[in-house]
Amino acid sequence: MEVNEQLIKAITKAVVEQLQRGGAQPTTTSSSGPQSLAGKTRMRPKRSYEGAVRAKQGTDPKEVVIGVGAAFQTEITKTIGGIPLDEVLRNVKAGIEEEGMVSRVVKVLDTSDVGFMALQAAKLSGSGIGIGIQSKGTTVIHQKDLYPLTNLELFPQAPLMDLETYRKIGRNAAKYVKGEKVTPIECTNDPMVRAKFQVKAALMHIIETEQLDPDKGMIVWEGAK
Amino acid sequence: MKRSKRIEALDQRAVNKDGFIDEWPEMGFVAMSSPYDPKPSIIVENGVITELDGKKRADFDFLDQFIADYAIRIDRAEASMAIPSLEIARKIVDIQTSRKEILEIVSGITPAKMVEVINYLNVVEMMMGMQKMRARKVPGNQAHITNLKDDPVQIAADAAEGALRGFSEEETTMGVARYAPFSAMALLIGSQVGRPGVLTQCSAEEATELELGIRGLTTYAETLSVYGTEKVFIDGDDTPYSKAFLNSAYASRGLKVRFTSGAGSEVLMGSSERKSMLYLECRCLYVTKGAGSQGIQNGSVSCIGVAAGVPAGIREVMGENLVAALLGLECASSNDQSFSNSDMRRTARTMLQFMPGTDFIFSGYAAEPNYDNMFAGSNFDAEDFDDYNVMQRDMQVDGGLRPVTEEDVIRVRREAGKAVQAVFKYLGLTEVTDEQVEAVTYAHGSKDTLKRDVASDLMAADDMMKRGITGIDVVKALAESGYTKLAESILNMLKQRVIGDYMHTAAILDENFQVMSGVNTPNDYMGPGTGYRVTGKRWEEIKAIPHRIDVNEF
Repeated sequence: MEVNEQLIKAITKAVVEQLQRGGAQPTTTSSSGPQSLAGKTRMRPKRSYEGAVRAKQGTDPKEVVIGVGAAFQTEITKTIGGIPLDEVLRNVKAGIEEEGMVSRVVKVLDTSDVGFMALQAAKLSGSGIGIGIQSKGTTVIHQKDLYPLTNLELFPQAPLMDLETYRKIGRNAAKYVKGEKVTPIECTNDPMVRAKFQVKAALMHIIETEQLDPDKGMIVWEGAK
Repeated sequence: MKRSKRIEALDQRAVNKDGFIDEWPEMGFVAMSSPYDPKPSIIVENGVITELDGKKRADFDFLDQFIADYAIRIDRAEASMAIPSLEIARKIVDIQTSRKEILEIVSGITPAKMVEVINYLNVVEMMMGMQKMRARKVPGNQAHITNLKDDPVQIAADAAEGALRGFSEEETTMGVARYAPFSAMALLIGSQVGRPGVLTQCSAEEATELELGIRGLTTYAETLSVYGTEKVFIDGDDTPYSKAFLNSAYASRGLKVRFTSGAGSEVLMGSSERKSMLYLECRCLYVTKGAGSQGIQNGSVSCIGVAAGVPAGIREVMGENLVAALLGLECASSNDQSFSNSDMRRTARTMLQFMPGTDFIFSGYAAEPNYDNMFAGSNFDAEDFDDYNVMQRDMQVDGGLRPVTEEDVIRVRREAGKAVQAVFKYLGLTEVTDEQVEAVTYAHGSKDTLKRDVASDLMAADDMMKRGITGIDVVKALAESGYTKLAESILNMLKQRVIGDYMHTAAILDENFQVMSGVNTPNDYMGPGTGYRVTGKRWEEIKAIPHRIDVNEF
């Protein structure tokens, strides 16, 4: 895959503009001195998952389970790169279906670690193949009998992702279900990604983690209502 | 508002693309000291620590318990804790006080006390402390050897060149995790072409990494991660006890190991318990010591974007490096992850470890262009080699590297590529063509190399593991393909795990496979005229940078 640099630049620009408009990145220190955050204990209010339906163990051997993060489509609606999560999910599902397999979406409320999210999705999946997607966009394809911290494919640099890659992730996951010889999606790498995005990634992960509801486990997810 | 052209120009500077955030202790965005950090205290009853930093034994989490039981010398605790933190801080800087005396005092203090001590030191004092407390007399350096294609031929060539340039250790990792067996093997072969005695490791999922080590495809391990809060430990499916167990699994096979930790990981994983980064890192380092590891890779490492985002974050990074040295651990002091868009800022950050010298100043330095660095970019890369060499020469500082000639670079790259080609052929793995070796020989990075058949490589790599291929098979393949000297070098590396000397603190090997560690070559710095000085043959080597004016030809 060619990295579409123009798209990345356009998205980055859009995100930066948005952040500046929203005042999230003050350009002067006078308006927000040290300690201005003291006493603040959360990023977002806790959402209730009262009445949510626990996701069932799958039996369909053609199924790929997609496990999304606790803040997915609720507290967070776009990836760290600015891609709407509705579109992310639509493309992953489309990729799975293009290969003739079936997708099922669950929200993972007992962990925000993408490796464990993906592994849990894989264990729930009738085929044993699952995908974990954090709300910031980090994605893993996992298989139920692998060690938690290994994977079939890992996409650690969320800011570099585009919709075509999410579609390919769906396709490759489906190909693993079919037992085909799969060529992994080519890696992308931006050596400055940490400098530009790591603080934002930490904040997004806090938003995700504070929405966890471990007693609820994995729930059926059909998007925000 | 009408905009100032000056401010507009400044807004465009690279440093303003970096991420900065105010201190927010509730979420752990605080470097040196949080209002929620505990106050130092210790109570010892019947030879057991019953209170640690304000917490009773009944309230200990598993880190407290592990630290209390294994990481603090109980016979020293009361005496050490009675010494004011300011006095300990002053002793660290005082050239009349020996490293040994400080190790003795520090062995009895608690993590919260350590935080107090470090908070008394400014960055220059920390550097003075590191100059004295570093374990090994001569500083060292480590390289990252990776590429975007996970091409084993390029790994071997970059490893050979890196070894030639002076790195004592080389670390690889993969974009596609299943490439690990090929990456480890190519790194092992390439490193010994560049300079016999270079240690190699493959950063992978822990069970895979252990298996590669046991098989002799790597010669040390580094990525045993520890964390400063119980929650993050559990999220990683681990405890201090499981890490200690993994550590001893490596030790049982005679492999050198160090742990990994660093500021910001707990923040990034959303479970900092409102503590400062320095306090949490002190807990990590005490766990590392308690688990019996000889050393640590620390200095925020992959979470440097978070640490560098808060005030005094870079001071904290140097502070935690110093804590490692104070605990008697080998310190591989990070500098291994890009964190700033500004060349000025990234260089300044590295000076804190470069000037005093650490056991490994980088852990590691990208010995390929950063676009190929699969640790998501190092703080310095292959394009900075000459800048780095000039800085060594300017300041007469040993940063662990040396200038090389183009002829030597081409020669070792080709030989490494050829050797990998021969081993792949002998072991019946995927084909390495002459064209590939040629492209890699002259390449700067993976943009200059040929495409490999990834799906076939992965099947062959799986097969290699299933067939039980080990380091000895690599030795045999090389010997029977005519690479006798190289085969001997790799055999010598495998012998190290039988000898075991390189498991001592801060051990590296010279080109004759002789160990230089904190035990047989300890740091003996005690002020001017003592310790390691850049002189003699090494200084001549550092002086000989390329691009000097040849006066005779002028």
